[in-house]
Amino acid sequence: MERGPAVDCLLLREPLDPARLLAAVSDAAAGGHVLFVGTTRGITDGVATSRLIYDAHEPLARGQLERLRAEAVGRFGLSRCVVHHRLGTVAVGEASVVIAASAPHRREAFAAAEWLMERIKEAVPIWKCEEHPDGSHRWVHPDAPPAVPHAAGRGAVS
Amino acid sequence: MNHPRPPTAASPAAPAAVPRHDGVRIGLFAGMAEAAGLRTLELAWDGGSAAALRRRLAEALPSLAPLLARSAVAIGDAYVTDDTPIPAGSDVAIIPPVSGG
Repeated sequence: MERGPAVDCLLLREPLDPARLLAAVSDAAAGGHVLFVGTTRGITDGVATSRLIYDAHEPLARGQLERLRAEAVGRFGLSRCVVHHRLGTVAVGEASVVIAASAPHRREAFAAAEWLMERIKEAVPIWKCEEHPDGSHRWVHPDAPPAVPHAAGRGAVS
Repeated sequence: MNHPRPPTAASPAAPAAVPRHDGVRIGLFAGMAEAAGLRTLELAWDGGSAAALRRRLAEALPSLAPLLARSAVAIGDAYVTDDTPIPAGSDVAIIPPVSGG
């Protein structure tokens, strides 16, 4: 993570700071600044969640986050972009992921934040465990396998 | 490369295992670590593809088979594809479907 500001892509075991990320993408050339904050839901599919616990393959997750961040910057012509994801135990209502993106025009900043969230949910090795009020828990593993970038096509326009 | 290997059964890795010149060390995460009751394990392994490694692990720990069928494999900080050779002595991770965000 030595390229760019050291805060571009972080996995943190402490509360995220959306205002800090928004400030980090402030850019005089940008006309649109978008801040996305993903928070821990208290109810999923009608089942109450008391808290979430996030596990990660940290070196791989950092590398994938940086790869996707860099691809978003290029693909959408962003001025700046930062992504932080929480790990460990996260209380309901707290931020689990924050994306801040700035671009010369708003459309690209909105699109980049949406694109990045979709890619993060496909490819970055982070997993959530939902803990329920009765003490039970469930690791969330969707049906689709992780989206593994092909060596030859990595970063290519698709 | 000439050390005798134990039988093919999975065995929990000691926390500070003596470096091996054969076998493969496997990291597990999330629901897979829970299903296996292990974060890491070692299997006897003479080398083969990432897909073959997944099959080998499913044989050793059948409770992992459903998630293994839709998992990726990583070496170090990079994903590998199913046909990537995994040499003996590798340190790999099994990456089940992700749920970040």
